[in-house]
Amino acid sequence: MQVPLQVNHVTELIAAIATAPGHGGIGVVRISGPDVRLFANQLSGIDPKPRHAHFCKLRDALGDVLDEGILLYFPAPNSYTGESVLEFQGHGGPAVLNLVLDRCIDLGARLALPGEFTKRAFLNNRIDLVQAESVSDLIEASSAQAARAALRSLSGVFSQRINGLCERLIELRMLVEASIDFPEEDIDILDKFNACQRLLDLQNDLGALLVQAQSGKRIQDGVSVVIAGPPNVGKSTLLNAFAGDDVAIVTPYAGTTRDPITETIQVGPVLLSMTDTAGLHKTLDPIETEGISRAHKAMRTADLVLWVIDATSKELSEPENIPENVPVWKIYNKIDLIAQHSGLFGGIAVSAHSGLNLNKLREELRIFVESRDFGEGAFTARNRHIEALRLTRDQLDQALQNYEVCELLAESLRTAHQTLSRITGTFDSEALLGEIFSRFCIGK
Amino acid sequence: MMDNDVYDVIIVGGGHAGTEAALASARMGIGTLLLTHSFDTLGQMSCNPSIGGIGKGHLVKEIDAMGGIMAIAADEAGIQFRILNASKGPAVRATRAQIDRVLYRQAIRSRLETQENLRLFQQPVNALLIENDHVIGVRTQAGLEFHARSVVLTVGTFLAGQIHVGLEKIAGGRAGEAPSNQLASFLRELNLPVGRLKTGTPPRIDGKTVDFSVMTIQPGDLPIPVFSYTGNAESHPRQVPCFITHTTRETHEIIRAGLDRSPLYTGLIEGVGPRYCPSIEDKIMRFTGRESHQIFVEPEGLTTSEIYPNGISTSLPFDVQLSLVRSIPGFSRAHITCPGYAIEYDYFDPKGLKPTLETRQIHGLFFAGQINGTTGYEEAAAQGLLAGINAALFVRDKQGFFLNRDEAYVGVLVDDLITRGTSEPYRMFTSRAEYRLMLREDNADARLTEKARTLGLVDDERWKKFCLKMESIENEAQRLRSTWVNPQNLNCDDAIRVFGQKLEREYSLEELLRRPNVHYAELMTLPGLAGSCVDNAVGLQVETNVKYAGYIARQHDEIARLQLFEQMILPDDIDYSQVKGLSAEVTQKLNVHRPHSLGQASRISGVTPAAISLLLVYLRKRENRCGKVENA
Repeated sequence: MQVPLQVNHVTELIAAIATAPGHGGIGVVRISGPDVRLFANQLSGIDPKPRHAHFCKLRDALGDVLDEGILLYFPAPNSYTGESVLEFQGHGGPAVLNLVLDRCIDLGARLALPGEFTKRAFLNNRIDLVQAESVSDLIEASSAQAARAALRSLSGVFSQRINGLCERLIELRMLVEASIDFPEEDIDILDKFNACQRLLDLQNDLGALLVQAQSGKRIQDGVSVVIAGPPNVGKSTLLNAFAGDDVAIVTPYAGTTRDPITETIQVGPVLLSMTDTAGLHKTLDPIETEGISRAHKAMRTADLVLWVIDATSKELSEPENIPENVPVWKIYNKIDLIAQHSGLFGGIAVSAHSGLNLNKLREELRIFVESRDFGEGAFTARNRHIEALRLTRDQLDQALQNYEVCELLAESLRTAHQTLSRITGTFDSEALLGEIFSRFCIGK
Repeated sequence: MMDNDVYDVIIVGGGHAGTEAALASARMGIGTLLLTHSFDTLGQMSCNPSIGGIGKGHLVKEIDAMGGIMAIAADEAGIQFRILNASKGPAVRATRAQIDRVLYRQAIRSRLETQENLRLFQQPVNALLIENDHVIGVRTQAGLEFHARSVVLTVGTFLAGQIHVGLEKIAGGRAGEAPSNQLASFLRELNLPVGRLKTGTPPRIDGKTVDFSVMTIQPGDLPIPVFSYTGNAESHPRQVPCFITHTTRETHEIIRAGLDRSPLYTGLIEGVGPRYCPSIEDKIMRFTGRESHQIFVEPEGLTTSEIYPNGISTSLPFDVQLSLVRSIPGFSRAHITCPGYAIEYDYFDPKGLKPTLETRQIHGLFFAGQINGTTGYEEAAAQGLLAGINAALFVRDKQGFFLNRDEAYVGVLVDDLITRGTSEPYRMFTSRAEYRLMLREDNADARLTEKARTLGLVDDERWKKFCLKMESIENEAQRLRSTWVNPQNLNCDDAIRVFGQKLEREYSLEELLRRPNVHYAELMTLPGLAGSCVDNAVGLQVETNVKYAGYIARQHDEIARLQLFEQMILPDDIDYSQVKGLSAEVTQKLNVHRPHSLGQASRISGVTPAAISLLLVYLRKRENRCGKVENA
């Protein structure tokens, strides 16, 4: 028997920045779920009227003003998601918007998952079937994009430390679970392996990492465009043309660029980060090889790859080794040097050197960025991690309070692990049992 | 209808799964036939003589709460009872009993023989009768045919069973009993996904040749625990202790020297054995750092001197078994009465089952017990009960019955099996249950008895007792909420004794009980409350409910969020390659697993939250489309 999809299920309050990352001007934070009116009051001190623009000041827990702007309240079902929705339109910068978002999380909302607003809209029949066709695409694309943003937001060191903490948490859980499920073993596992000290150390180190993550250096936000292609096709010249400055060294020699160079550039009202990378070819030079490996890494986290082709060469190179799900545009460069433009298919023909057609490329980029309003920037991704770290810390505190009752200790560690796994990926009970069996000689 | 050859439900096998299945189906008023190759082994405990333990005790209590037989039989046959994990919290506390094998078989057989609607027949089954993908009955070794609407197969380790002692191989389903080779080859032809598993037992020893004085004695708990919610300690037979000894360095040397004749280490055994119940040769080879391993010396019964040395399961040749046993303190003059052995047997990939334990390929055919890749009496019995219920519901054309992961260990067991399958014999552990704090031995009745009553499994006597208990839990909880303790009426000594400090204001008993170091029994010793204390089981449950309220509320939130997915049934005919946006890997996994619900799909490893969203979208579109067709 098929149970009809239910609409009035229990939902949590979710919040997210609704405007694309990198936009200037106005930024919107959207909150959807039950009880948003009460939430509005906590957030702004205003009891909002439906569909009425309220000017308000948002304050943090200490009463300091975070931002001022317009608050709008749309009661269910007449809203984007079909649930009650609150929108705050404030000043656009990512730093300010993230403070507002943080405040929402403090007040009990959860960071929305990629595509979650649209999904709710869909489940509540706010989107018709024709539009719904695109919902699948959207969920797929925004998940992939969020994954790339997460990669960008994590420096290698940070993610190593998170993984280290996670491994130690798993080990601690393993000790606690083994002492519960195998009590007849002849050793007191928790004492023998200093479980209590391990918990204290873990709590300490996690706290330190959290402080560091919160004050970490400003991360690259906005849409990431990576310029790639064979050597000496004019990649660095293209970046310089967009940046309006000689940020990348340009020479007639192949292999000049080694380190990726990133510049923030403005196209129309939109900011994006553009990265120039080392030319891709087979080489034995160890420095160049490292540069190429960094180029591949940059492409993996890119939202768009501009594959630059030298239009004057006899054999036009085709994009290769582009990661799945990352769109690629072919850019035919140096067209000022050739008479015939025929044969340049499926791309944009420009001259980075003379500036020919660069406005067209700029316009295409603007359209590309603006059409991606579902996107999730690295900033949000990092917030997601900070939120998870904070919750994990609280749960470890609780674990310490519960240390004397083994099953409550286990429960607090389970929820801590569940939360930390949002950053590192999942880990299930079967894997935990595997750890126990490989470590201890257990069973009669 | 019960003609001689026409029944509603047929159960094949008389072990722990088969007997629970037969009793459940018959209790629901369905004409049931139990077929077994021998009446003498009904309820046989072929491995260790004990029931319960961590996770397993929980299953026994759940079976009991649903009117099953295992706990009652354990109470009548238990000769040593203990509560494990007593200090680690109410949820992981578990009952375990040593069992007299003879008394246990008697308890089971007498229940089977007196059960209404149930007939027994002694004859091995060689084939199923199948018509158009529907099972319609079975054929026995003598060519007799019995017809039924549904059939439950509980054939344990008998399918193509192969016993190993050293390099010798004997066909067998248990020591001294023939395997079901005919049935195994019949089933292999049905093209169900089949695999091979291995398990083992230790040699048995004559207790008259053992020196117990050099071992550590392990008496049972006092007061003696009771398994069944309807039972009492008076029904227990005489109680005896267990003993503990250990392997020595010499033991380990003997084993290492004998490995060249071990079927495990020479590649004769292909089946995968359980990691948590390794053979002694495995323990020594894998954990070379340990100089000694514990051995629990368990009595086999009150009327036999045989003992079961739990911890030295082995398939080494007999001469090695003898010298390794004699190198163990207390066993230096031991006489082995039966050699230890390893057994390999066929099992069917449980991913091919519905949550009701019905096979997906053949309608009306249910599998329960070791045939599904599990190990343990309790795991088998739990599946038997569930399969028996569903075989009966199938006959009545009723919707199937299953339990969710947050309702019972039975639910965790079945969901794990059908969602992830298993590559080693599957055993229950409490760490498999994410809602462990809710799934306690003390509240299995509160979780399950009412559901079982609706199904017709619970008799009036049990029901009356259950209702009384629930009422007194409710009353006691109410009393704790409405009784206040005023510091002015409380003398200082009492406050320090019970709360560890003076009270600074008036509190209700419930508020006080919520404190971590305050316990119900002590609370009831306060002046004015003494004597008003309720039954122990009731007090314990009230205390746990109060203390765990916060954790349980959080788990309920988690469950409520996931509930939506559990209720979304994925129709049988979905072609996952038609679902837009799914990756090739996820599509392949879903097409193979064919999950029952969106919730089950989300637990398959590798199925991402994004994939679940895509399925959700697909379901909604499909529903709208179907709706339109119907309206037209």
